[in-house]
Amino acid sequence: MREETIETDVLCVGGGIAGLMAAIRASELGARVVVAEKGNTVRSGGGATGNDHFLCYIPEIHGSDIDPIIEEARRAVAGGAKRPESFIRAWLEKSFDIVRLWDNWGIPMTYGGQYEFAGHGFPGRPLIWLKYAGQKQKPILTKQTHKTGATIMNRVMIFDLFSAGDTLGALGIDTREDKYYEFYAKSVILATGGCVRLYQGPTPAWMFNLSDPPHTTGDGRAMAYRAGAALIDMEIPIRWAGPKYFARCGKATWVGVLRDQRDLPVGPFVTKPEKKYGDIAADIYTNMFEDYALSGRGPIYMDCRGISQEDYEYMMHWLEQEGNTALLNHMKSEGIDVRKNPVEFSTYEVRPIGGVYYNEKGETTLKGLYAAGDEIVGNISLAATFGWIAGENAAAYSKTLEGLAGERKLDTAMQEKMELVEKIRGRNEGPDWKEVNIVLQQIMDDYAGPVRSETLSKAGLTYLQRLKEKAVETMNASNQHELMHCAEVLNLIELGELILFAAMERRESRGEHKRPDYPFTNPLLDGKTMFIEKGDHQPIVQWKTLG
Amino acid sequence: MPPIINKDKCTRCGICVKVCPQDVFFGSKEKAVPIVSYPEECWHCNACGLDCPEEAISLRVPLPQMLLYR
Repeated sequence: MREETIETDVLCVGGGIAGLMAAIRASELGARVVVAEKGNTVRSGGGATGNDHFLCYIPEIHGSDIDPIIEEARRAVAGGAKRPESFIRAWLEKSFDIVRLWDNWGIPMTYGGQYEFAGHGFPGRPLIWLKYAGQKQKPILTKQTHKTGATIMNRVMIFDLFSAGDTLGALGIDTREDKYYEFYAKSVILATGGCVRLYQGPTPAWMFNLSDPPHTTGDGRAMAYRAGAALIDMEIPIRWAGPKYFARCGKATWVGVLRDQRDLPVGPFVTKPEKKYGDIAADIYTNMFEDYALSGRGPIYMDCRGISQEDYEYMMHWLEQEGNTALLNHMKSEGIDVRKNPVEFSTYEVRPIGGVYYNEKGETTLKGLYAAGDEIVGNISLAATFGWIAGENAAAYSKTLEGLAGERKLDTAMQEKMELVEKIRGRNEGPDWKEVNIVLQQIMDDYAGPVRSETLSKAGLTYLQRLKEKAVETMNASNQHELMHCAEVLNLIELGELILFAAMERRESRGEHKRPDYPFTNPLLDGKTMFIEKGDHQPIVQWKTLG
Repeated sequence: MPPIINKDKCTRCGICVKVCPQDVFFGSKEKAVPIVSYPEECWHCNACGLDCPEEAISLRVPLPQMLLYR
């Protein structure tokens, strides 16, 4: 087995928007920086092939008072929800700087020479989403990262973290060659993105059809937890919505009205296609599509009929920048013309809104460990801004440490981890990662899906424990690519267990967390967040007020 | 199955193999037409199609993902 040891000041785990922004900032402040990316930073993560809306506060557009924009951002499901005011303020105060940086680097942040705000909009309230042309954002950020002198290691998946004296260590798998890595860093920034493949998507037999990239498997959350950092809101489910069966984010880029089969608008916000707003009904009530179908009133369509030619071209331009070229090509080849054909929308799979707790400085609860972006569900602007902020603070923290202290020797737990990886790779028979992932999704849907309860959680935890043992003892990988998936699925099982546990601990119903055994919302938990940390025998739960 | 490479247009430059976030081209050899080893892992992000300098790649969207419309 080939091994390499790498030492650095700042290690960025993941090279999506947050990871690259962190790397750029830490590197320009003088830190030695390494980015380890499972794919290739040119096209990886949630912003791989584009994005078209960037939540920000621009004084010349919004006026000198930031507070109404903070209030608006807190209503935005992806990013603002459940974050304390201090966090949103830090984000929005920095957001315009990031807009100008990106524009300077060559990511077009204006439209027709102006700042253009549209989409995810409530009529009569401030618009907070800046339209921007993000199709080339990842190649551009990669180039910027190289310019600062940071090192990018593509096709390296970091799958575990550990303490090494005052510093942190990490274990990595090369996803193409038979090679393994040990990293030692003064600080680590987790930026591994979202947490998908835990629950069945809209086409269970076609597992990778998900609205967020299927390579974002919550690795940061699982590693942070094992290393001793706190996770939050793991029990709070969130579901996106969009075109039925072709799972894709970007519903706010559509310029149409959500209508039922009788052509009646299902939401109260728009009655004709309005490019300024889109139809925000699907943001505030993503389960609407499923609820309508279950109540016999479905289906619901995104209906763009009546759109002007100018607005149609506007929408198609932004769908392309949003990263939806495959969807557009499919519509073209199938002869689907949204000016004539309403397209059915649906609610997608469950996922946790929570993840690695990090504050307005990007700090987690573990010294030297930072996190950014979708380590908690967010958006591109949040990833860019907190990547930058985390990079700044991680670089400053690294400077306070003299050198890389600690012995370069793996402790027993990490040695066992490496041995497990070797065993999985060395086996010639047994289930592959996919079988394990399928069972996991079945259990998550049935035991911590739309309905949760004490008895369901307990049963689910027993079944996942059994699955984990089977996976550890029998799962095999015939190459490094499959080994990466095995490491992902082991992380996902761990997160599944935490969700089941956290869902059991929240003894109330709240929003999409539905507990028929506790059907009421407990006012004593208003404003409280569940922190969950590793304990000796079971996770430790603490309820805290953020901010 | 996605993606589909037009062998006549492909110059074997390897950009698609380099950038694919899902690594569906795993195991492809340098200076050869890429192989699609894991088609079912394609996310249809179209990175390969966008970055191919020869426009030699198209995606075939699998039937389970076909859009529903009226």
